[in-house]
Amino acid sequence: MDTNLVLEGFKFMGLGMGTVFLFLIVLILMMNLMSKIINKFFPEVKPNASASTVNNQNNNKKIVAAITAAIKHHKEG
Amino acid sequence: MKFLVIKLLALMLFSFSVLYASAPTVEVSLTHMEETYETKPFSEMVGGFLKSTGINAFINPDPDELDAHGKEISDFHKSWGRILMILLTFFLFWLAIRKGFEPLLLLPIAFGGLLANIPIAGIAGDDGFLGVIYNMGLANEMFPILIFMGVGAMTDFGPLLSNPKTALLGGAAQFGIFGTLVGAVALTQMGFADFTLQQASAISIIGGADGPTSIFIATKLAPELLGAIAVASYSYMAMVPIIQPPIMRALTTEAERKIKMTTLRHVSRLEKLVFPILVLTLAILVLPAATPLVGAFMFGNFLKESGVVERLNDTLQNSLINTVTIFLGLGVGSKLAAEEFLVPDTMFIMALGIVAFSVGTASGVIMAKIMNMFPGHKVNPLIGSAGVSAVPMAARVSNKVGMEADRTNMLLMHAMGPNVAGVIGSAVAAGVLISLFI
Repeated sequence: MDTNLVLEGFKFMGLGMGTVFLFLIVLILMMNLMSKIINKFFPEVKPNASASTVNNQNNNKKIVAAITAAIKHHKEG
Repeated sequence: MKFLVIKLLALMLFSFSVLYASAPTVEVSLTHMEETYETKPFSEMVGGFLKSTGINAFINPDPDELDAHGKEISDFHKSWGRILMILLTFFLFWLAIRKGFEPLLLLPIAFGGLLANIPIAGIAGDDGFLGVIYNMGLANEMFPILIFMGVGAMTDFGPLLSNPKTALLGGAAQFGIFGTLVGAVALTQMGFADFTLQQASAISIIGGADGPTSIFIATKLAPELLGAIAVASYSYMAMVPIIQPPIMRALTTEAERKIKMTTLRHVSRLEKLVFPILVLTLAILVLPAATPLVGAFMFGNFLKESGVVERLNDTLQNSLINTVTIFLGLGVGSKLAAEEFLVPDTMFIMALGIVAFSVGTASGVIMAKIMNMFPGHKVNPLIGSAGVSAVPMAARVSNKVGMEADRTNMLLMHAMGPNVAGVIGSAVAAGVLISLFI
């Protein structure tokens, strides 16, 4: 039996690299699609971060108001 | 009720008496054993003992000694071969400890090799403990799969998800595998070596630069070459910082090395959680033969990204992978027995291994240059070399060479994308090779 092993090797290469690239190209397309869907329909919610900053700002305003009121009261009194 | 207690007591007494009655017979048989021992003159005892020493076994090898597979071993492999192999394991110790070459795996492998070359003790045989370890987890491809779970738990697909097209670089680097396959069969065709297609495939997977994948394929397709393939794979992986930079510099211009890449976008947790399932689904549809590797890898990654099983994630990343690494190393070391390692094939495997790494590196860089011919964000070709898996060493090399050209250019995270894609790519390539031989 005199098979050309090198030719056989190149056949393996064609099939192997073809599959690897096909797999990765499909994976890239799917990744892009998945990211689009997720970012459109399930955007990452950051309720803690935004809510806390809003709360903090409100708190700060209240504190500032209280302090100014206290100072005013002190000066007047 | 009383009767029952009395009956029980009686039964116990009876059984005790039976036990005691049988005890003397045991003693009798022991004395029989002792009687077969014949007294010998002291000189003969010393002579017999000297025959069982290692020195004698090295100088006058036992002609009837058979290897782990019950085959004859040549006298060279039983005497000088073993001494050479023991010296080689000392060299591996030096590489691992002094040079820091993948010590986590090279040390257990080398020590396993040392133990496997001890005459008379037969540690690597089927009844020796190395043989038991080998049969327990390597002969059935269990350990590489367990390692893959741990690697999956350690992998962050974030950089790949934020720049998906870099996955192509991880694909191109697999040319290292198939280029080497052609090289191995060409050597056979020209009459230098004598590799079957299975053996050539097992050797070529060194180019995947992925230890567990190499071991998985080698045990499946050519277990007789496992020792050489594993040693080549791990030592070249450790030499990535030496092998890659010259190739990367030769193939790129100064301007290309200075290319700055756009910053990576933030990847949401849900994307990271869906990704392993996505890859596994693709593998199921396209290449079920690759699912043992891909499945274990994605299992580990899924546990990590789920964020609710911190304990299991921690076990996979630490205790499990460490335990399995010890066994895997020792098991592979058992294949460093002189009669299996000191053959001409090993030399060819070492040579082909370095070709595999070089071709993989070069094709990754070239692929990046091809991608830059198309419109879109430019890719720094230096990250192409990271496509040869070897996580995270190859990515660090990309970063280092990039910093040499421009100190402000941080390529590490960009290189992690092709790096992890390379792991998927070599698992797919491994699946193709397996599917061709089933």
